[in-house]
Amino acid sequence: MAEVKLKNLTKRWGDFVGVDNQSLNIKDQEFLVLLGPSGCGKTTTMRMIAGLEDPTGGEIWIGDRKVNDDLPKDRDVAMVFQNYGLYPHMTIFDNIAYPLKVRGTPKDETRPRVEKAAEQVELTQFLDRKPKALSGGQRQRVALARAIVRTPKVFLMDEPLSNLDAKLRVTMRAELKHLSRALQITTVYVTHDQIEAMTLADRVAVMKHGIIQQLGTPDEIYNDPANLFVAGFIGSPAMNLINGSVRDGMFVTTGGTRLTKLPTADRARAILGVRADDMSVHEAGQGDIDVTIYAFENTGESTLLTVQWGKQRVIARGDRHLRKEQDDVVGISLDPDHLYLFDPDTEQRIRM
Amino acid sequence: MSIAPMPEPETFGRNPKRGLSGRQKKRIAEFVQVALILIAIFVMLVPIIWIFLAAFKTHVDVYQLKLFFTPTFENFGTVFDDPYRLGEKLFNSTIVALVTVVFAIPIATLAAYSFSRFTLRGETLMLVIILATQFVPAVVIILPFFVMFRDIGLLDTRLGLILVNLAIVMPFAIWMIKGFIDGIPMDTEEAAMVDGSSRLQVIRNIVLPMAAPGLLTSAIFCFIIAWNEFLFALILTNKNAVTLPIGLALFKGEEGDLWNLLSAAGIIIMAPMFVLALMIRKYFVQGMTMGAVR
Repeated sequence: MAEVKLKNLTKRWGDFVGVDNQSLNIKDQEFLVLLGPSGCGKTTTMRMIAGLEDPTGGEIWIGDRKVNDDLPKDRDVAMVFQNYGLYPHMTIFDNIAYPLKVRGTPKDETRPRVEKAAEQVELTQFLDRKPKALSGGQRQRVALARAIVRTPKVFLMDEPLSNLDAKLRVTMRAELKHLSRALQITTVYVTHDQIEAMTLADRVAVMKHGIIQQLGTPDEIYNDPANLFVAGFIGSPAMNLINGSVRDGMFVTTGGTRLTKLPTADRARAILGVRADDMSVHEAGQGDIDVTIYAFENTGESTLLTVQWGKQRVIARGDRHLRKEQDDVVGISLDPDHLYLFDPDTEQRIRM
Repeated sequence: MSIAPMPEPETFGRNPKRGLSGRQKKRIAEFVQVALILIAIFVMLVPIIWIFLAAFKTHVDVYQLKLFFTPTFENFGTVFDDPYRLGEKLFNSTIVALVTVVFAIPIATLAAYSFSRFTLRGETLMLVIILATQFVPAVVIILPFFVMFRDIGLLDTRLGLILVNLAIVMPFAIWMIKGFIDGIPMDTEEAAMVDGSSRLQVIRNIVLPMAAPGLLTSAIFCFIIAWNEFLFALILTNKNAVTLPIGLALFKGEEGDLWNLLSAAGIIIMAPMFVLALMIRKYFVQGMTMGAVR
């Protein structure tokens, strides 16, 4: 159990900046997700915490110890790798037992602990097999069991679910959440999947180009994005971003459509963000504005309407019983409480 | 199974007498393939079969291309007796090849691990140079070897031959083992490090067991190369450290070529090679291509 503190952490390879002078305090027992597109520096950050990558600058603290110069083995962390990193020549039992064995745990203590870990991930009947004989999901469980067999100060998980098929990923996600709540160990979790971030995290750090764009609870990240990148990255479908301007308290699209009231000062250029869920679909003439349907998609649990809005396309979510055709005209209303305004130059949020 | 064969669709609506059906073409192609393979095997095996037969023939029979004769094991006895004393050569060959392997594999493994896992200054250049030594014709460097060995008293010693053989097999072993280590996922090693292993523990507990088939294959290859090595042994030995391939020359005496004895000695040289070839057959292609594919 420990806090993890990153102070002005930097990683450079020649001219390429992987992580750019970032500081982050991860609280004791917190589940922190590093979220971002590939190449954003999230995995590098985690590998520096693990000691698999040397920082170019800055400090890493685990608990009350600065670990910059410690080897991975001395940092008391456990890591789950994207490709599991199992030992193919060992049985599942030996795989799970390895962290104990290499740290000199007595043999009679090893067996009950391995069995307990195996039980927690439901692997008990596979202990005699080799990793090769297991499915992807089972291998992932072995990797998890190997991490939880000790009680490390910190768990590090590097996209642990990304090699599983979609269905298994959902089950494993729930199991992972259950397990992490039960174990109460500080966890750093790297993913590019915003659903995983939303569901698992106590707090999410959204990263891009080696810089943490926003740090907050899933709620804050989703409902109060700090900038254009976070707004566009979180949520599926992505938040609609509409170019335009603010004139006389109204947002006017580039095409000249007067869209909605905005309680803010006039600006020549602005981007309005609105989520598909924060738009309501009505019959033509009954919404704020009439639009033509570019594509109508039924996903089963809801419907998605891509509508042509001047030169821009916007996605609105409709009721799951709604049935429309391409080129139909519908009315759309925006929820005035959930509109976000961004500065197109700084890409920062304009608070209203 | 009593299901009637489906008619070949290609023959529908066509005069079956004109041209070949698809099935016929396939059969001919198969026949040609098998025939070519048999020819290749025949060409490669004839000398070996000849030696195998000659080894069991008497001096008189050897000049007749008889397939049926009364076999004798006398030749195998004669080659170990005076004046040939093949036993000494066999001993020399075994010691030289074994000691070469015992030193080459651990050293090459450490070198290969470093090349595979660390970013070294001038890494590519070093690898290229190591590979390039393989392409230097032996006759070019044999003279400096001779002069150096003469000066430090290594001529006609097993130690001298072991050193030469190490120089011959090491580049090969480094490249081959590097291929196997490259094939071990980095994740696995990193997992072991985070799990609490030092670098040496990673090598001992993870890398060596996982690369074991590759190490065994490399070891056998090195053994074969050292065992068959001829040119250096020819120049650098004359009496005490003579190895089996050089020993063959003994049977070219005043009474002409003693083909039956030569063949018996040949079989003694070849026999371990056949056994080893069978053992590494499975890993041969894997070992040669693993580094290249990635």
